[in-house]
Amino acid sequence: MKRRNSLLMALLLTVSMVFTACGSSNGASAGSSSDSTAAASSEASSEASTEAGGKADLVWWGWTPGSPLNEQYIAEFNKSFPDVNITWKQTTVDDYDAAIKPALANGEGVDIFEVSAGSANGGVGIFGGQAISMEEALKNYLGDDYKDKLNEASLNSMTVNGELKALGVGTVYAGNLWINQDLFDKYNVKVPTNFEEWKAACDTFKANGIIGFVQGAGQGAFNMDTYHAICDNIEPGLFTKATRGEAEWTNPVFVQALDLWKKLFDEGIMQDGALGIQQYPEANNMFLSGQAAMVMMGSWYTMNCLPDTMRANMEAASSTDEPFAMVPINFPDIAGTGNVGYVFCDIDYATAVSVNASDVQAATDFALWLGASEEGQQMIADSLNLVPVLKSVSPNWDNVVLTNPEKQNKPVQEYLTNAMANPDNPRFGGISADLNQAMMDVLAGVASGTLTSEDGAARLAAVE
Amino acid sequence: MKKRLSIRNNGMIWILPAFFFLIIMIYYSIFFTFNLSTMDWDGLSPTMERVGFANYTKMFKDLVFWKAIKNTIVYFAITFVVQNFLGFVFAAILHSDVKLPTVHKCLIFIPTILAPATMAPVFRLMFSPQGMLQKFFDFAHIPITVDWLSKPQTALYVLMVIVVWEFTGMSFILYYAAMSQIDKEMLEAAQIDGAGNIRTLWTMVFPGCKGTTVSLAMLGVIGALKTFDIPYLITTGGPDHATEFLGTYIYRQGIRQSHLGYAAALSVMLLVMAVVGAFLTNKANKGE
Repeated sequence: MKRRNSLLMALLLTVSMVFTACGSSNGASAGSSSDSTAAASSEASSEASTEAGGKADLVWWGWTPGSPLNEQYIAEFNKSFPDVNITWKQTTVDDYDAAIKPALANGEGVDIFEVSAGSANGGVGIFGGQAISMEEALKNYLGDDYKDKLNEASLNSMTVNGELKALGVGTVYAGNLWINQDLFDKYNVKVPTNFEEWKAACDTFKANGIIGFVQGAGQGAFNMDTYHAICDNIEPGLFTKATRGEAEWTNPVFVQALDLWKKLFDEGIMQDGALGIQQYPEANNMFLSGQAAMVMMGSWYTMNCLPDTMRANMEAASSTDEPFAMVPINFPDIAGTGNVGYVFCDIDYATAVSVNASDVQAATDFALWLGASEEGQQMIADSLNLVPVLKSVSPNWDNVVLTNPEKQNKPVQEYLTNAMANPDNPRFGGISADLNQAMMDVLAGVASGTLTSEDGAARLAAVE
Repeated sequence: MKKRLSIRNNGMIWILPAFFFLIIMIYYSIFFTFNLSTMDWDGLSPTMERVGFANYTKMFKDLVFWKAIKNTIVYFAITFVVQNFLGFVFAAILHSDVKLPTVHKCLIFIPTILAPATMAPVFRLMFSPQGMLQKFFDFAHIPITVDWLSKPQTALYVLMVIVVWEFTGMSFILYYAAMSQIDKEMLEAAQIDGAGNIRTLWTMVFPGCKGTTVSLAMLGVIGALKTFDIPYLITTGGPDHATEFLGTYIYRQGIRQSHLGYAAALSVMLLVMAVVGAFLTNKANKGE
């Protein structure tokens, strides 16, 4: 009898394993079928209307801005929507794609998820297929003129096959440098506006045991920012045209830009061994700990102008010094064209609602609150981490106190104003994953001398 | 009744759970990967396009794939020789009368248990011009710039140094155990017959550890083929794919670029190479 029971147990275990495997397999295929996607969406919507009065439990996946800010957003949201319980689930930016892909395919446990533009991590082009269309909800929330109320990029870059798949939360701008103004003042160094001044500044800092300009060129995305800035310095807008197929990558401008990129390494503007380190954490830490005077970062770095935020980030960079005055400057005119002050922007992240969300209505409410409400967007604005997408909202400068208002207030406010006024010039939004990889390869190859500028441009042109 | 008993007695029924588990988790996955390698798919799209063997054709024309293969071979050849030589020498030394042997054993073995993820930033800084190695050279007035990780010509060798540092402890511990099994009287007899220490080591001890060397070779082949964490965390496969391995390239293609079909074709190639590598090392073991 005992043997028979054991036999039955073994068979039951086997059968349950087989059915478990089949179950998850079915779930995965359901999540990846267009018919079932539509069905899931409508089913979820009808469920939401029936659940509207109940308590919703949602899980929000993402990589930015990270705890505790996300929990603070949720707490603020809960003041208006107390019946919606949201759990923030964070991965690192590099792990996000690998983590969210099977989670979305599985169809469970992801209600709200962050996406970004183009080929960056969490690209909406890849993951937008698992999100509901937000257009109707946005129209109902902001009115028919909703397009006038929001940043253009927040709508364009999140539209996939004619459907708005996510609501932008804030934009980031890149293409400028940040400098440690205190170090510039201490060593009486002129803020660089062209190649010669940039080199002279780096030489002066080097003579004083400080790295002039630091870039973690081992992390390709920031190399693309620098290259984009050089291209805009030579001929503004041509880089964006090329990403859209309206210009050839073999154009002499791109070859010249690669030459200038190489010159940054050859002439000692890039620090020694730049290709061997990452922008995060190494270059970031060197700048924040005062070991380097300049760094290529974008508008997300503005939050370090807040003393508390900067102190926390300096501590993370192993520095116990007091916060210093960092200010944004234009990318120097290294091509000698006079074209300066151009920045490029993307939605840093947007909030998408999964087609399999357990409560689509509650999840949509959260996405709308974060990306389109005055309250949510004011929180985003005042954190100085992102530039809000809702045009009517800007940082409340009366409440925002910078580390050194005398040195920082004017340049920071001018920088943000200029950034928002810049025309359509996406950062990664128009770059496919293949072009992204090719560009990172080309920039590393040209910088290390294994590839000529001409060959590099040809390689970019060869990307399908 | 008699027949049922015989099924029970031969034990077949008891391996069924594990058998099904194996089929689902291993063989089904291999089949699925092979099937996927004939598709063009981004991992989420509802449609998969059957492309036949186009991914394999693309792979054989892909310069990065060949660079990854070359890196794997160079990496295995050098790390296997250096790591096992050091492990063998350390094991031999610690079988002699060394003071504080336990301390030495711990020092040699500790790197093996450290997580690469925690060590990666340390190594990136150590092998950078702003790191402690550069400071040492500057202090000693040695005119060397430690920018090796930033150069395609040297980055792979830096990774090998790190790997040797990390895994010599494993070779050491296995050789140490193998040497404990060698008959001491035989070694004493060799020395009475006039063999010096080095000759004894080379002609008596090393052949006595042949099984360990073969096992380490097999582990080395598998380890080289599945290399991922150290190059990904320290150089992300760069600069310019100079430290690309099959593992990092599969991840890059499958996850970062969403070419799941192509990544599957690379994975199938990785499997084939692993099977061939295991077959060859096994054959080498049975050769004599």
